[in-house]
Amino acid sequence: MMRFTKFLKVEVDVVVARNAFIPDNKSSKEYLENVAIAFMQEEFAKVNGFKENDVIKITSKGRSVNLKVKISDIAHEKGILIPNGIYASYLTSFDGFKRFKAEIELADGEITKPEEIIEKLKG
Amino acid sequence: MSGNTEYYTCAGCSCLCDDIEIDLDGENAKTVKTACRRGSNIFLEYKENRAEPAIEGRKVEFEEAIKKAQELIEKSKSLAIYGMDTIPIEAQKVAIELAEGKEAYIDNSSSYCLGDFVEMVLKKELPTATFDDVKDYAYVIFYWGVDPHNSLPRHMSRYTYYPRGKKRQRGYEEDRYLVVADIRKSHTAMLVAKNARFIQVDDDLKLVDAFIKVIDKQMPEKYADDAVRVIREMQKADFNVIMGGLGLRYGLKGNYEKFKEMINKMNEVAKVYFIPAGCHANMRGFNEVLFEKTGFVNKYSFKDGESSLDYAFFELLKNDKVDTTLIIGSDPVNSLPFEISKKLAKINTIVVDPRKSFTTQIAKVVIPSAISGVEQGGTMIRSDGVRVKVNSLFEREINDVYVLERLKEVVA
Ligand code: SF4
Repeated sequence: MMRFTKFLKVEVDVVVARNAFIPDNKSSKEYLENVAIAFMQEEFAKVNGFKENDVIKITSKGRSVNLKVKISDIAHEKGILIPNGIYASYLTSFDGFKRFKAEIELADGEITKPEEIIEKLKG
Repeated sequence: MSGNTEYYTCAGCSCLCDDIEIDLDGENAKTVKTACRRGSNIFLEYKENRAEPAIEGRKVEFEEAIKKAQELIEKSKSLAIYGMDTIPIEAQKVAIELAEGKEAYIDNSSSYCLGDFVEMVLKKELPTATFDDVKDYAYVIFYWGVDPHNSLPRHMSRYTYYPRGKKRQRGYEEDRYLVVADIRKSHTAMLVAKNARFIQVDDDLKLVDAFIKVIDKQMPEKYADDAVRVIREMQKADFNVIMGGLGLRYGLKGNYEKFKEMINKMNEVAKVYFIPAGCHANMRGFNEVLFEKTGFVNKYSFKDGESSLDYAFFELLKNDKVDTTLIIGSDPVNSLPFEISKKLAKINTIVVDPRKSFTTQIAKVVIPSAISGVEQGGTMIRSDGVRVKVNSLFEREINDVYVLERLKEVVA
């Protein structure tokens, strides 16, 4: 069954923060598991129709990444928290380095791989 | 620390824990005691994901990579040297000499991190203290815009909130008062229970203003209860400390005078110190070494003999002011905005790093070096300004000092 949320775009505040579980080895599975994440509070997820492990598309200033939803109280009430790392850097600019506005929506695809961003850098 | 046990130093963050016990099996770390998860992995997995010498993505001999980097530096008309936050000050000094010889720009992550706070501390515009003093005497432990639980894992257990100190024998249960100010309920904020206060702050300047107004016996627009309570707690002791992080730095929006005014006001009614809570192991080391030489902590141009926002690494890239960059022990593609990283991919980027990173993937030249605390020792400066001797597992011949001395040959 198609989810209603699929068509819904939500404007949110994105906060970028460090995460102790991110290892130095950026080629590791563990890095991806701990960086390709968007934390949101349970209530926020419920109101906007998102669930744990959903893949969401986050768009800011014309650039988008797909990250996995994790329900956690460490996020602020009306938005998402994403860990410091290549995804946050891809979305940010210097006007909003650690906090910026973005649109989120349910995504069809997989989480974005860091290599896709590296290719865009080279391109 | 005494007896026959050998203690190693972890350079995983600015806590620079020098109490790490390691069981070695040849050159492998078998077990790591005392370190946090991040620190343990640095020792246990140091052989993984290592950088290899490369030119334009092609693996080459180490010597070839050095020669190519020397050639690019020699030809460069406008060079920027960046990073150095994770290497010992002995290597930072060589990088600064190279920048001077080449009349280059030099900067580290502190220009968008906590460099401004370090500068205020070094200029004695903010009263500061060491972690030893904090451990022994501090009552109010105030984390503002920083989540040490995630960014400085042993900060609270080793230096601030949890240890028992000379005048704080009853520990956090009774002898400390924890304050956490953050935009969200961080893991650190979740520790706030008895003898503690969480201030959910959506406007740091209004919180600064609240403290000033409360001390002046006026009614602030916001955070009145929080400010009254925290000041009252501070007045109970003769030693309190504010640890400021990136959230505070960005929340102040450059209004440092207001912040200094607040600290001064607090010191009219209580005793309050400030310690920058930055993350990179030796960010402050670079700031201090450059400060000793030039009077500035970062974003410095040896050509112009001054520091300016225009010489911040990201501004130089944004404005196409450099043709070559030398990046040492740093991964700006991981941490700087995409538009900036894109520029790095277009110019001559030389990376000196022990590990593969996102930046090594776009670099023209990659030169592998040694991991601080594992394969190279030296001196680093902790976030409270204390110099720490980094006792490493081994000493590799090819380390940051060696690589940078080789690159410096072009200006000798
Ligand atoms: S707190 Fe920092 S310095 Fe200490 S063990 Fe952990 S990563 Fe290493």
